[in-house]
Amino acid sequence: MKTFREEKNFSWCPGCGHGIVARLCAELIEENNLRDRTCCVVGIGCGGFHHHYMEIDALEAAHGRSIPVATGYKLGLPDNFVYTLQGDGDCASIGLAELMHAANRGTPITVIMVNNGVFGMTGGQMSPETLISQKTPTCPFGRDAKLHGNPLKVSEMMQEMDGVAYLARLSVATPTLVRKAKKGLAQAFKAQEEKLGFSFVEILSPCPTGWNMKVVDSYQRLAKEVAEILPVKEFINKVGGES
Amino acid sequence: MESNTLFMKNSEIFAEAMIRCGIRYHFAYPITPATDVMKYTAAHFHKVGGRMFQAESELAVINCLTGLAATGQLGCASTSGPGFDLMQEGIGFMTAAELPCILLDNMRVGPGDGDIIGSQQDYFMATRGGSHGDYYIPVYAPASGQEIVDLMPVAIDRAFTYRTPVLFVMDGVMAQMIETVDFTPAKETVSSYDTGEWSYTGAKDRGKRALITGSYAHSDGEQMVKKLMAKAEAMTAKEQLWEEYELEDAEVVVCAFGLPGRVCREIVQERRKQGEKIGFIRPITLFPFPEKVFAGLPGSVREILVVEMNYGQMVQDVRLAVNGRCNVSHYGHVGGDQPMIKAREVRNRLAALVPA
Repeated sequence: MKTFREEKNFSWCPGCGHGIVARLCAELIEENNLRDRTCCVVGIGCGGFHHHYMEIDALEAAHGRSIPVATGYKLGLPDNFVYTLQGDGDCASIGLAELMHAANRGTPITVIMVNNGVFGMTGGQMSPETLISQKTPTCPFGRDAKLHGNPLKVSEMMQEMDGVAYLARLSVATPTLVRKAKKGLAQAFKAQEEKLGFSFVEILSPCPTGWNMKVVDSYQRLAKEVAEILPVKEFINKVGGES
Repeated sequence: MESNTLFMKNSEIFAEAMIRCGIRYHFAYPITPATDVMKYTAAHFHKVGGRMFQAESELAVINCLTGLAATGQLGCASTSGPGFDLMQEGIGFMTAAELPCILLDNMRVGPGDGDIIGSQQDYFMATRGGSHGDYYIPVYAPASGQEIVDLMPVAIDRAFTYRTPVLFVMDGVMAQMIETVDFTPAKETVSSYDTGEWSYTGAKDRGKRALITGSYAHSDGEQMVKKLMAKAEAMTAKEQLWEEYELEDAEVVVCAFGLPGRVCREIVQERRKQGEKIGFIRPITLFPFPEKVFAGLPGSVREILVVEMNYGQMVQDVRLAVNGRCNVSHYGHVGGDQPMIKAREVRNRLAALVPA
């Protein structure tokens, strides 16, 4: 595969879900013949490594600012394919305002938020997506709704926005869900290519290191505990394809 | 607009000069006293196939501009004090990423929400940068509508040549003045610069390009800073601009930039007619600071009076430039019902420095 640099060693920890997401993106870029005109805008955090394994043009934006960078890029080159790859810290914490406005405007870009519920790169601190009672270095006694609020349901927040052409929460918890994630991602890419509006996929992903768990246990937690609060679901599909 | 000679507000002159020079994208967020720029581009950019994009914040403004610049096209962002604060991270980022763009800060009173009336209090932020790290960008301080037009093609050239953001600063009073201006110098030049060698347009018929301002090895950061410092050195050697008047035998020199420069020049001309040996310097580039004119001052100069609409910012660069060779004093004024420096006060200071 020309798009994916299979010979490179990953910087990601063993068991990390980012590698699966990168593989899915590369496969779809290849299958849709997008490589020559693709630009990926990555955020700060472990998601920033995404393009290292991809043979595509890439911009490493400032923390939380991938979406406006992609917006300006798309304005300059409307026929290019542009997607952002951000973690939940980058996208749902420091970059939330930009996400909401791009979605509401219907900016024809694709935003991929890899949601592992922590700030992975800096050592697993609490993010807006950390579950209640989950312990992290910055909520050592567990996330408390009274102190920290509840996990932010970012996908649900965009359900009422007319500018959104595709909106789904996906997961890499099991092989079946990975195949489903690829189908959802394909619809998100298509939404941009057909100039239908803004497309967003939240991909639930494990962070064994940040969660302080064995890899197998982290995938089980993702499939059960995380999915109970943040269910895998397609919210909007104006593309009309199977997902 | 067909005619080359027009009577317009200086913020609008800035916008019209951009259009005529070939800039097609303007990003902005409403803020006094800079909103006139985006009002003008919103009404006129579409006629030439361009677009004014009103973003949700100045954070989004500067980052949209970053994305546009990555495609190899030249865009602009305009703002005022608090918005300029928010853009600082992005300006540092664009400098590190070597992305050209044109910026405008119509300076107002601060810090905090301050006052919407004009000031020159962003001198430090403009010349020292508000972002973290070592970096400098070219800063132009026009003193008239005509000078905005004259400098626009120069700024565009420096943006592409040095691959850097280029900043214009005007005080909020000048930004809202209406003046007659000849647009003849505002020729379309943007399309003549080839950005294909570095822009991120997709990996077609070439290898991948990645815009990275972070370090993956500790040597990366050092190399990036050395490259930026080499650019700053080249700009310091080649790009200093200033206006000077009657320095040959001057004993006292008045130094002011932007609109106070115009006021002070008239006062100096007036005093010269009285036979007083007073000269005048108006820095046009704030970075690089025109230290060459200070280095060349005659030995007769014993005092430099720096006049600013702030409480002493450029005066520090003047002191560095003269390095103790003469006295440097300051008269500053900010805000109130009359934000401009007071001509009477400048005259009084000069009377004290040049006894009749």
